[in-house]
Amino acid sequence: MKRTPHIPMVAGIPDPILEGIAGGWKVQDAADVTDGGVINADVVIIGTGAGGGTTAEILAEAGLNVLMLEEGPLKSTNDFKMDEREAYHDLYQESAGRMSKDGSMSILQGRCVGGTTVINWTSSFHTPEQTLEHWANEFKLEGASKEEMTPWFERMEERLQIAPWPVPPNPNNAVLSRGAEALNLEWHVIPRNVSGCWNLGYCGTGCPTNAKQSMLVTTIPGALNKQSGLIYNARAERLIIEGKKVLGVEVTALNSDYKPNGNTFSVKAPHVVMSCGGINGPALLLRSDAPDPKKRVGKRTFFHPVAFNFAQFDELIDPYYGAPQSIYSDHYQWLNVTGPAGYKLEATPLHPGLAAVLFLGHGGRHYEDMGNLPNTNLLLALIRDGFDEESPGASIELASDGSPIVDYPVNDYIWDAFQRAMISMAEIQFAAGAKRVRPSHLDAPWYETVEEAREGINNLDNRSNAFTVGSAHVMGGMTMGEDLDKCVVDSNGKYHYLDNLYVIDGSVFPTSIGANPQLSVYGFACKFANQLVEKIKASA
Amino acid sequence: MKTSRRGFLQLGAMGTAALTVGSGAAMLTGCSSQQTPAEGFKTLREVDVYFLGALAPAVLTTKGYPGALGKDARQRLLESLDTLMTTLQGHALSQLQMAFDLMGSPVTRVAVGAPLHPWQEATVEEAEAFLESWRDSWLPIKRMGYQGLCKLITICWYSQPENYEISGYPGPPVKVPYPYPATGE
Repeated sequence: MKRTPHIPMVAGIPDPILEGIAGGWKVQDAADVTDGGVINADVVIIGTGAGGGTTAEILAEAGLNVLMLEEGPLKSTNDFKMDEREAYHDLYQESAGRMSKDGSMSILQGRCVGGTTVINWTSSFHTPEQTLEHWANEFKLEGASKEEMTPWFERMEERLQIAPWPVPPNPNNAVLSRGAEALNLEWHVIPRNVSGCWNLGYCGTGCPTNAKQSMLVTTIPGALNKQSGLIYNARAERLIIEGKKVLGVEVTALNSDYKPNGNTFSVKAPHVVMSCGGINGPALLLRSDAPDPKKRVGKRTFFHPVAFNFAQFDELIDPYYGAPQSIYSDHYQWLNVTGPAGYKLEATPLHPGLAAVLFLGHGGRHYEDMGNLPNTNLLLALIRDGFDEESPGASIELASDGSPIVDYPVNDYIWDAFQRAMISMAEIQFAAGAKRVRPSHLDAPWYETVEEAREGINNLDNRSNAFTVGSAHVMGGMTMGEDLDKCVVDSNGKYHYLDNLYVIDGSVFPTSIGANPQLSVYGFACKFANQLVEKIKASA
Repeated sequence: MKTSRRGFLQLGAMGTAALTVGSGAAMLTGCSSQQTPAEGFKTLREVDVYFLGALAPAVLTTKGYPGALGKDARQRLLESLDTLMTTLQGHALSQLQMAFDLMGSPVTRVAVGAPLHPWQEATVEEAEAFLESWRDSWLPIKRMGYQGLCKLITICWYSQPENYEISGYPGPPVKVPYPYPATGE
């Protein structure tokens, strides 16, 4: 008998973007901007993700004339049909195919109005206290102690309705809580930025019910309701820099195939905010020949490289339905701050396209694994990179066409963490009743017992492209702090070497965070944006 | 070779030597093979169509195209691959096309482990042997090519609604968009 989805239909959901545009919002496709035109604003914000959206609303509410630029297309609730093909093509950088230089790491990042917040899985955590302390000690970051940052996180928790998920975990997440419980490992419920969530499981293809409080349905409408402007399909090519001032930004209009359509224009503003993320941000500054005396732009980009473990159960798991992430374990995260890397354990939603990629390999075994998808659980480990000197992170370089290349070697320090994490996940999965377990590595067979898994994993090889290294979290590349040997952005978000350039996004983090990043970005963005408002008012 | 996003052609000395086969060297410099898309495609060229079409059955399963698409399977997969590759940024696309050129050109193909005759005549067994040799190679570039190929083909295949039944995925809920009145252009 053919099975049907647990909720058969989503209907009657309004689209706040379409309604806002019909009501007179200043929203424009870059293709409709006059070739060679010059647009003026009080503040131009490049990028509309977690940092850009938060900043836009705060500045607009303060009465400033804000213009948002977004490289990606404008897609909204009516477009979100829970279809992987459409989602990867419309909402993700390079159709979800963005990779590191040697191909070994796959990077999921958003590329659309609302940025990665449109496609993320809603997990929301304060920046851990250990991380904030490390940033203060090692990078001379000022004003960002736990006491100083908590009010900012709480403000954004309120703005985005963040709260621990009150619904029982889906079977995929219950493997983690059940297994951890059986082994006496600490685990907790994940706070999520949702309101009225239907528990569908399609956060990653764009929330079809407006429950996920992404930038697209919160701060961007907030800014547009205060007469801000938004131009999408607009790629920032270079900042226009004269001495120590940024005059504005040169923009290329893109067509629906993401190729330049031949038109260019520029935006001039006395205050310029970059919210492009840890890959595109450094690339923009490198293309602009921005002053960078210690050559730190594009250094120290981190990814929480992800190790994956599959498990097969006799009972149905249906890993594609239900809130994708609702349980986490930090049991192995903070055994030490530096030294061998800690990791955070969570579950991963599995829809067929993503599953096909993560199972790795080809042919008979791949086909058989795909056929068992309904009985498959997938756990992941986020490796906390960047805290130890053996983890220097990626450098961002420019390709000949100006696009960014991410050079992130998966060295023995990272691989050691992968092996420990794979063993931890296998132990939890077997404790939860798994019949067989295998990490996402070409050489790993299905292990039938936990002893077999431990021995097998310890003998796996750190061979590039032989195992999956994922990333959904891009952090760093424009380190913040007062240590000029390491940092390019100050403790208030201003770029050290230019008078009026602000970096308000995830690229400022000096190391990885040790938790899913969005609330960290929201909290720091809220702080920096409010400080910028005060600064602009004071100088008026 | 220039530094590339995916490092497809970032070859060490040994790798470059292995691929310099007589007059083949001239073909590698500047990647002079034709760039025109094949008929009916936006980005896939004829060499890509033959190469991907030959490899796909071996990637998906050892027996050909699984599932219910039947004789439409190959065309649907190629169209899906074409759509995906069209969204790759110019640099990443040119690197992928260079790798496909290496695998498809008569001169370099043998040096990289492909069968002697053109890809459109290759058997599934030959495709399988080629895939395995790239998967198990000590050359990082070949392992990267293997992973890239498998990911491209399998993500395009399994995310098509007609193929949900192969994985047992019942499919998503039906989304009915909100019926706003159509606005004039």
